[in-house]
Amino acid sequence: MTGYTPTHVGSVTKYVMVESFEITPADLASRGYEISKGVMIKETCFGLVINGKEEEVDRIVAELRKIDPDHIFVKDRGFPPGDARRCRANLGGARPGYNGLEFEMSILPYISHGLEVLDKKDEKSVPPPEDPLEHPLLDIHKLKKLIDAQES
Amino acid sequence: MVKVFIYPATSLILSDMVARFGHTPLSSAIAIRERIQTAGLESPPLQITPEEPKKGLKWAAVEVPAGVRGRMSLYGPMIEAAEAAIIINDADLAFGCMGCARTNELIKFLVHQKDIPKLELNYPKNEDEGVKFVAAIKRFLTGLGAAK
Amino acid sequence: MTQPVRIAQLSCGPEYSGIQHEIDEAAREVGGEIFFPDVALKDIRRDFDKFGLDVRSPDLKLAIARAIALVEGRVEADAVFIATCFRCAEAAIVRNELRRYINEHSRLPVVSYSFTERTTSGTLLTRMEALTTIARRRALLARETQKGLTLGLDSGSATTKAVVMRDNKIIGTGWQPTTEVLKSANEVIAHALAEAGVTRDEIQAVGTTGYGRFLVGKEINADLIQEELTVNSKGAVYLAGRQHGPATVIDIGGMDNKAISVMDGIPGVFTMGGICAGASGRFLEMTAKRLGVEITELGPLSMKGMGGRVPMNSYCIVFGTQSLVNALAAGSTREDVAAAACHSVAEQVYEQQLQEVDIKEPVIMVGGTSLIEGLVFAMGELLQTKIVVPPYSQYIGAVGSALLASGFIKDD
Repeated sequence: MTGYTPTHVGSVTKYVMVESFEITPADLASRGYEISKGVMIKETCFGLVINGKEEEVDRIVAELRKIDPDHIFVKDRGFPPGDARRCRANLGGARPGYNGLEFEMSILPYISHGLEVLDKKDEKSVPPPEDPLEHPLLDIHKLKKLIDAQES
Repeated sequence: MVKVFIYPATSLILSDMVARFGHTPLSSAIAIRERIQTAGLESPPLQITPEEPKKGLKWAAVEVPAGVRGRMSLYGPMIEAAEAAIIINDADLAFGCMGCARTNELIKFLVHQKDIPKLELNYPKNEDEGVKFVAAIKRFLTGLGAAK
Repeated sequence: MTQPVRIAQLSCGPEYSGIQHEIDEAAREVGGEIFFPDVALKDIRRDFDKFGLDVRSPDLKLAIARAIALVEGRVEADAVFIATCFRCAEAAIVRNELRRYINEHSRLPVVSYSFTERTTSGTLLTRMEALTTIARRRALLARETQKGLTLGLDSGSATTKAVVMRDNKIIGTGWQPTTEVLKSANEVIAHALAEAGVTRDEIQAVGTTGYGRFLVGKEINADLIQEELTVNSKGAVYLAGRQHGPATVIDIGGMDNKAISVMDGIPGVFTMGGICAGASGRFLEMTAKRLGVEITELGPLSMKGMGGRVPMNSYCIVFGTQSLVNALAAGSTREDVAAAACHSVAEQVYEQQLQEVDIKEPVIMVGGTSLIEGLVFAMGELLQTKIVVPPYSQYIGAVGSALLASGFIKDD
């Protein structure tokens, strides 16, 4: 086994994704470059990957969020941008995490809608979602079906 | 700022919500970053070496597959550090770091065992559920801020 | 520089067990390149439902979708490597079903492996080499007759074998226990040449296989250096006269066992076991020694005994031998003990290796252990079939090498 010398030590990397009809990743990127002050910003098909010192990255992320707070989403990334170990070009296919991201991207419109509604409405007035741990009561139509099945 | 463990730990949505409402998300990326930024023996792609499954013995016995123990070496310390947790229960399509059902069962169990504030949800399936989902998370996270 | 052989990896867990780089390394060493078939989320959802195996682990769902993409030709590959965690039941089911599915629906060679955090590239090397050989040398493996004057050498972990062949006939053989790899090789070659009545200079092409293939191959300037999985399959179907259609080749070696599912002489699915010496020829050697007989006498002795009369509760070579010693001390006959040892090895190979390949008749047993009748008998009982042991079965690797090496003879 050979020794491993890490790069980008002490830096953080974040994904900034955009889920919007009005703003494109390119818009996000051009704003990002304006305020980057040398922080590494890489454009991807769904948004940006930003790498640098934590304070710097946080500053840029906060600025970018302002563009469209309800449609911009941010997540940490373990690897710096373009790392060969995670790059699709080197692996022959997307890393497995990508498909998970793909799934959550399909949920983002509901989240954006939720954020928009809550900009105007107090969250305390919204009823709680279904508790996933509680088994739902037997649906009345299903009960009727069961009764009918028994009788016939 | 409260350290909030998120499940799935790879979730963009939960990671964003936790940070957006003022707390620190504990996610897979943090654990992977720690490994790839630490010098040691070369073990691409994730810099998880054969030592990690051995460290995982703290959470799972030796007859448990190496992949479970290796993953637990990422999540075990994070669950121990967690001060709150948000769990999405129907996360059936979280791959990679969350790609092993047995590990995921153990993670959920350990989080449930812990006496910390928890919020359990399903993914929203329409706009109405989206509103309830975000509202529940906002209430939960705002409440944490007040508690601290 | 030739293009690397593209090996598609279907897996769950290697990155988290710290062994992904060992897999990459093993592939690279034999001119292969590991890649991950690219699928989209919609493919995963559709194909997972279509396949119908309702597993929980997302990475196994992904593996299923990737396998279907390979079989349907949406992603191109030369070979498939399936790897999941050792001791994971869910993954073992998926591994087996995917291996079977790919084998039945495509021509892609497949090897499946269950790893632990201790798996190294060395362990994977022979398997990867077989994958790249099948992908690269299909034309060579299609050879059905030996021509000219060729030499084949099998430098195995326990014994070294050589044969000289001329015009599709074996004309000289050499055999001895492996001591110093090169010395043993030179001696068996000298013996085979003398028996054939030819000199080294007359030999037109040379092939080597077995553990010592690289070392010996380099030393004797071999034209073909090839792992024993493909060579032995080829040798087995050639000697058994079953070059067309399906066959299953079982080779219980000195250090590891091979079970190979063959179609038209080319391996489709194969496994190699080597974790426990209790399932190897070495255990039978120890048994013979303890019984005070030559290994050649163990077979006839065991045929006179009843293995069921001796309790054998361990697969371990140490505890297994202990059981035999205890049985002898308790008054069991040497015949029964010999039969029990044969049954134990056969059963272990059956349980550990043969579950990973689809058994299709004829079942051909090769290698030195195929000369132990008791072992062949026990395997036949377990598989409920008549096992074929071809002539010269102990020279299988050497014969396969001599046969394939004739593809390297330059036409005048």
